[in-house]
Amino acid sequence: MLIPHPLLGLRDAQEFTYLGDARLIDRPDPTAPDAEAAFCDYVFLRDNQAGAHRELWFHEQGDRSWLVVTRDTVTHEVLCAELARDVALSRARCSK
Amino acid sequence: MTDLRPITALGTVTPGYASFGALDLRENAGLALASLALRRGTLEPTPFGLTLPEPGRWVAWQGVAALCTGPDQWMIEAEGRAELDFSAELKQVAPGCSVTEQTDGWVAIEIVSRAGTGLEALLSKLVNIDLANFGPGGATRTGLEHMSCFVIRRGDVHAAVLGARSSAGSLWHALETAAKRLEEKVA
Repeated sequence: MLIPHPLLGLRDAQEFTYLGDARLIDRPDPTAPDAEAAFCDYVFLRDNQAGAHRELWFHEQGDRSWLVVTRDTVTHEVLCAELARDVALSRARCSK
Repeated sequence: MTDLRPITALGTVTPGYASFGALDLRENAGLALASLALRRGTLEPTPFGLTLPEPGRWVAWQGVAALCTGPDQWMIEAEGRAELDFSAELKQVAPGCSVTEQTDGWVAIEIVSRAGTGLEALLSKLVNIDLANFGPGGATRTGLEHMSCFVIRRGDVHAAVLGARSSAGSLWHALETAAKRLEEKVA
Protein backbone atom coordinates (compact mmCIF):
# COMPACT_ATOMS: atom_id res chain seq x y z
CA MET A 1 0.00 0.00 0.00
CA LEU A 2 1.31 3.44 -0.92
CA ILE A 3 0.48 6.57 1.05
CA PRO A 4 0.57 9.87 -0.88
CA HIS A 5 2.59 11.98 1.54
CA PRO A 6 1.72 15.64 0.93
CA LEU A 7 5.39 16.69 1.00
CA LEU A 8 7.32 13.62 -0.12
CA GLY A 9 5.04 11.95 -2.65
CA LEU A 10 4.09 8.27 -2.71
CA ARG A 11 5.70 6.35 0.13
CA ASP A 12 5.43 2.74 1.21
CA ALA A 13 2.99 2.14 4.07
CA GLN A 14 5.74 0.10 5.79
CA GLU A 15 7.45 3.38 6.68
CA PHE A 16 4.41 4.44 8.70
CA THR A 17 2.86 3.40 11.97
CA TYR A 18 -0.88 3.58 12.54
CA LEU A 19 -2.48 5.28 15.52
CA GLY A 20 -6.23 5.27 14.90
CA ASP A 21 -9.25 7.43 14.23
CA ALA A 22 -8.39 11.05 13.34
CA ARG A 23 -11.00 12.18 15.87
CA LEU A 24 -8.19 11.78 18.44
CA ILE A 25 -7.10 15.28 17.33
CA ASP A 26 -10.27 16.70 18.90
CA ARG A 27 -9.30 16.26 22.53
CA PRO A 28 -12.11 17.52 24.80
CA ASP A 29 -11.59 20.46 27.12
CA PRO A 30 -10.73 18.99 30.56
CA THR A 31 -12.11 22.07 32.33
CA ALA A 32 -15.57 21.82 30.76
CA PRO A 33 -18.41 20.78 33.11
CA ASP A 34 -19.15 17.64 31.05
CA ALA A 35 -15.45 16.70 30.78
CA GLU A 36 -15.86 13.23 32.31
CA ALA A 37 -18.54 12.13 29.85
CA ALA A 38 -16.68 13.80 26.96
CA PHE A 39 -13.43 12.00 27.82
CA CYS A 40 -15.27 8.70 28.20
CA ASP A 41 -16.53 9.08 24.63
CA TYR A 42 -13.13 10.33 23.43
CA VAL A 43 -11.21 7.40 24.86
CA PHE A 44 -13.62 4.50 24.30
CA LEU A 45 -16.07 5.26 21.49
CA ARG A 46 -15.17 4.89 17.83
CA ASP A 47 -17.29 4.76 14.70
CA ASN A 48 -16.70 1.54 12.83
CA GLN A 49 -17.97 2.55 9.44
CA ALA A 50 -17.63 0.82 6.10
CA GLY A 51 -16.34 3.41 3.65
CA ALA A 52 -14.23 6.54 3.89
CA HIS A 53 -12.41 6.70 7.22
CA ARG A 54 -10.07 9.41 8.47
CA GLU A 55 -7.17 8.06 10.51
CA LEU A 56 -3.85 9.16 11.97
CA TRP A 57 -0.60 7.73 10.58
CA PHE A 58 2.93 8.56 11.75
CA HIS A 59 5.75 8.65 9.18
CA GLU A 60 8.14 6.93 11.56
CA GLN A 61 10.83 5.88 9.07
CA GLY A 62 10.49 9.14 7.18
CA ASP A 63 10.13 12.78 8.06
CA ARG A 64 8.43 11.97 11.40
CA SER A 65 5.28 13.88 10.49
CA TRP A 66 1.76 12.94 11.53
CA LEU A 67 -0.68 12.55 8.67
CA VAL A 68 -4.45 12.38 8.47
CA VAL A 69 -5.05 9.69 5.85
CA THR A 70 -8.51 9.17 4.40
CA ARG A 71 -8.90 5.52 3.51
CA ASP A 72 -11.81 3.48 2.22
CA THR A 73 -12.17 0.64 4.72
CA VAL A 74 -14.01 -1.49 2.14
CA THR A 75 -11.52 -1.29 -0.74
CA HIS A 76 -8.40 -0.08 1.18
CA GLU A 77 -8.09 2.69 -1.40
CA VAL A 78 -6.24 5.68 0.04
CA LEU A 79 -8.30 8.71 -0.94
CA CYS A 80 -6.12 11.52 0.41
CA ALA A 81 -3.47 12.41 2.95
CA GLU A 82 -2.94 15.71 4.74
CA LEU A 83 -0.46 16.88 7.36
CA ALA A 84 -2.15 16.52 10.76
CA ARG A 85 -0.57 19.84 11.71
CA ASP A 86 -2.48 21.58 8.91
CA VAL A 87 -5.71 19.83 9.90
CA ALA A 88 -5.30 20.89 13.54
CA LEU A 89 -4.31 24.45 12.61
CA SER A 90 -7.30 24.80 10.29
CA ARG A 91 -9.53 23.99 13.27
CA ALA A 92 -7.70 26.66 15.29
CA ARG A 93 -6.76 24.07 17.88
CA CYS A 94 -3.21 25.41 18.13
CA SER A 95 -3.78 29.03 17.27
CA LYS A 96 -0.62 30.36 18.94
CA MET B 1 46.92 9.89 32.22
CA THR B 2 44.77 7.40 30.35
CA ASP B 3 45.79 7.04 26.77
CA LEU B 4 42.53 7.67 24.88
CA ARG B 5 42.47 6.96 21.18
CA PRO B 6 39.52 8.01 19.06
CA ILE B 7 37.76 5.34 17.01
CA THR B 8 35.32 5.74 14.16
CA ALA B 9 31.66 4.72 14.22
CA LEU B 10 32.65 1.29 12.90
CA GLY B 11 34.98 0.84 15.87
CA THR B 12 38.24 1.06 13.95
CA VAL B 13 41.11 3.53 14.03
CA THR B 14 40.86 4.36 10.34
CA PRO B 15 37.51 4.90 8.59
CA GLY B 16 35.95 1.87 6.90
CA TYR B 17 36.58 1.35 3.21
CA ALA B 18 35.52 -1.39 0.81
CA SER B 19 35.38 -1.71 -2.95
CA PHE B 20 33.11 -3.99 -4.98
CA GLY B 21 33.46 -3.81 -8.73
CA ALA B 22 32.88 -0.19 -9.66
CA LEU B 23 31.34 0.70 -6.29
CA ASP B 24 33.36 2.19 -3.44
CA LEU B 25 31.99 2.33 0.10
CA ARG B 26 33.74 4.74 2.41
CA GLU B 27 32.94 5.74 5.97
CA ASN B 28 33.02 9.53 6.25
CA ALA B 29 34.38 10.07 9.76
CA GLY B 30 35.09 13.76 9.22
CA LEU B 31 31.53 14.86 8.54
CA ALA B 32 30.16 17.26 11.15
CA LEU B 33 26.39 17.27 11.60
CA ALA B 34 24.00 19.59 13.36
CA SER B 35 20.23 19.77 13.19
CA LEU B 36 18.43 23.04 12.66
CA ALA B 37 14.76 23.59 13.47
CA LEU B 38 12.70 26.72 13.07
CA ARG B 39 10.79 27.93 16.05
CA ARG B 40 7.28 29.22 15.57
CA GLY B 41 7.32 32.70 14.09
CA THR B 42 11.04 32.77 13.23
CA LEU B 43 12.27 33.53 9.74
CA GLU B 44 14.12 30.91 7.73
CA PRO B 45 17.86 31.66 8.02
CA THR B 46 20.46 31.25 5.27
CA PRO B 47 23.33 29.70 7.30
CA PHE B 48 26.77 29.98 5.61
CA GLY B 49 24.98 31.25 2.50
CA LEU B 50 22.88 28.08 2.12
CA THR B 51 19.33 28.41 0.88
CA LEU B 52 17.61 25.75 2.97
CA PRO B 53 16.11 23.09 0.69
CA GLU B 54 12.52 21.98 0.17
CA PRO B 55 11.30 18.63 1.57
CA GLY B 56 13.06 15.75 -0.17
CA ARG B 57 16.01 17.89 -1.32
CA TRP B 58 19.70 18.42 -0.49
CA VAL B 59 21.88 21.44 -1.33
CA ALA B 60 25.63 21.96 -0.98
CA TRP B 61 27.58 25.18 -0.98
CA GLN B 62 31.26 25.78 -0.16
CA GLY B 63 31.94 22.85 2.15
CA VAL B 64 28.58 22.83 3.91
CA ALA B 65 25.36 21.17 2.86
CA ALA B 66 21.79 20.91 4.09
CA LEU B 67 19.06 18.33 3.74
CA CYS B 68 15.46 18.67 4.69
CA THR B 69 14.53 16.24 7.48
CA GLY B 70 10.94 17.28 8.08
CA PRO B 71 8.66 20.31 8.05
CA ASP B 72 10.79 23.29 9.17
CA GLN B 73 13.70 21.00 10.07
CA TRP B 74 17.04 20.44 8.41
CA MET B 75 20.30 18.59 8.97
CA ILE B 76 23.37 20.68 8.19
CA GLU B 77 26.56 18.85 7.12
CA ALA B 78 30.10 20.23 7.15
CA GLU B 79 32.83 18.25 5.43
CA GLY B 80 35.96 17.61 7.52
CA ARG B 81 34.79 19.52 10.58
CA ALA B 82 33.77 16.66 12.91
CA GLU B 83 36.55 17.57 15.36
CA LEU B 84 35.35 21.18 15.66
CA ASP B 85 32.40 22.64 17.50
CA PHE B 86 30.29 22.95 14.37
CA SER B 87 26.94 23.36 16.13
CA ALA B 88 28.24 26.48 17.92
CA GLU B 89 29.23 27.96 14.55
CA LEU B 90 25.81 27.13 13.13
CA LYS B 91 24.03 28.61 16.13
CA GLN B 92 25.74 31.93 15.44
CA VAL B 93 24.51 32.11 11.86
CA ALA B 94 20.99 30.85 12.63
CA PRO B 95 19.67 33.27 15.25
CA GLY B 96 16.46 32.27 16.97
CA CYS B 97 16.57 28.68 15.66
CA SER B 98 17.00 25.45 17.61
CA VAL B 99 20.40 23.94 16.84
CA THR B 100 21.47 20.54 18.17
CA GLU B 101 24.83 18.84 17.80
CA GLN B 102 24.39 15.54 15.90
CA THR B 103 27.90 14.55 14.76
CA ASP B 104 28.48 11.62 17.11
CA GLY B 105 24.95 10.28 16.78
CA TRP B 106 25.39 9.20 13.19
CA VAL B 107 27.54 7.24 10.81
CA ALA B 108 27.94 8.57 7.28
CA ILE B 109 28.76 6.14 4.49
CA GLU B 110 29.64 7.53 1.08
CA ILE B 111 28.92 5.38 -1.97
CA VAL B 112 30.72 6.31 -5.17
CA SER B 113 30.53 4.54 -8.50
CA ARG B 114 33.88 4.84 -10.31
CA ALA B 115 32.41 3.54 -13.56
CA GLY B 116 29.41 5.84 -13.42
CA THR B 117 26.90 2.99 -13.23
CA GLY B 118 25.62 0.64 -10.57
CA LEU B 119 24.61 3.26 -8.04
CA GLU B 120 20.90 3.05 -8.83
CA ALA B 121 21.07 -0.74 -8.98
CA LEU B 122 22.54 -0.72 -5.47
CA LEU B 123 19.98 1.75 -4.09
CA SER B 124 17.13 -0.20 -5.64
CA LYS B 125 18.24 -3.26 -3.66
CA LEU B 126 18.37 -1.30 -0.42
CA VAL B 127 15.67 1.36 -0.19
CA ASN B 128 12.04 1.45 -1.20
CA ILE B 129 11.91 4.89 -2.80
CA ASP B 130 11.08 6.03 -6.30
CA LEU B 131 14.56 6.24 -7.85
CA ALA B 132 13.21 7.83 -11.04
CA ASN B 133 12.55 10.93 -8.95
CA PHE B 134 15.75 10.67 -6.92
CA GLY B 135 18.29 12.43 -9.09
CA PRO B 136 21.21 14.54 -7.83
CA GLY B 137 20.05 16.84 -5.05
CA GLY B 138 17.50 14.36 -3.71
CA ALA B 139 17.53 13.39 -0.04
CA THR B 140 15.02 11.56 2.08
CA ARG B 141 14.67 9.53 5.22
CA THR B 142 13.53 5.99 4.69
CA GLY B 143 13.86 2.47 6.04
CA LEU B 144 16.94 0.46 5.07
CA GLU B 145 16.81 -3.11 6.39
CA HIS B 146 14.50 -1.86 9.18
CA MET B 147 16.96 0.90 10.13
CA SER B 148 15.82 4.48 9.69
CA CYS B 149 18.41 6.25 7.49
CA PHE B 150 18.85 9.40 5.49
CA VAL B 151 19.71 8.68 1.88
CA ILE B 152 21.32 11.55 -0.03
CA ARG B 153 22.01 11.69 -3.75
CA ARG B 154 25.06 13.96 -3.81
CA GLY B 155 25.64 13.59 -7.53
CA ASP B 156 25.16 11.35 -10.54
CA VAL B 157 27.70 8.82 -9.30
CA HIS B 158 27.72 9.68 -5.60
CA ALA B 159 25.24 8.88 -2.84
CA ALA B 160 25.50 8.85 0.94
CA VAL B 161 23.65 7.07 3.72
CA LEU B 162 23.41 8.51 7.23
CA GLY B 163 22.40 5.96 9.84
CA ALA B 164 22.34 5.72 13.61
CA ARG B 165 25.88 5.33 14.94
CA SER B 166 24.74 2.55 17.27
CA SER B 167 23.82 0.41 14.25
CA ALA B 168 26.81 1.44 12.11
CA GLY B 169 28.04 -2.15 11.86
CA SER B 170 24.65 -3.46 10.69
CA LEU B 171 24.34 -0.65 8.15
CA TRP B 172 27.83 -1.30 6.81
CA HIS B 173 27.03 -5.00 6.58
CA ALA B 174 23.81 -4.27 4.64
CA LEU B 175 25.59 -2.00 2.15
CA GLU B 176 28.56 -4.32 1.80
CA THR B 177 26.35 -7.38 1.21
CA ALA B 178 24.23 -5.62 -1.42
CA ALA B 179 27.29 -4.24 -3.23
CA LYS B 180 29.00 -7.63 -3.15
CA ARG B 181 25.96 -9.37 -4.64
CA LEU B 182 25.82 -6.81 -7.43
CA GLU B 183 29.49 -7.40 -8.18
CA GLU B 184 28.92 -11.18 -8.28
CA LYS B 185 25.94 -10.72 -10.60
CA VAL B 186 28.00 -8.63 -13.05
CA ALA B 187 31.01 -10.93 -12.95
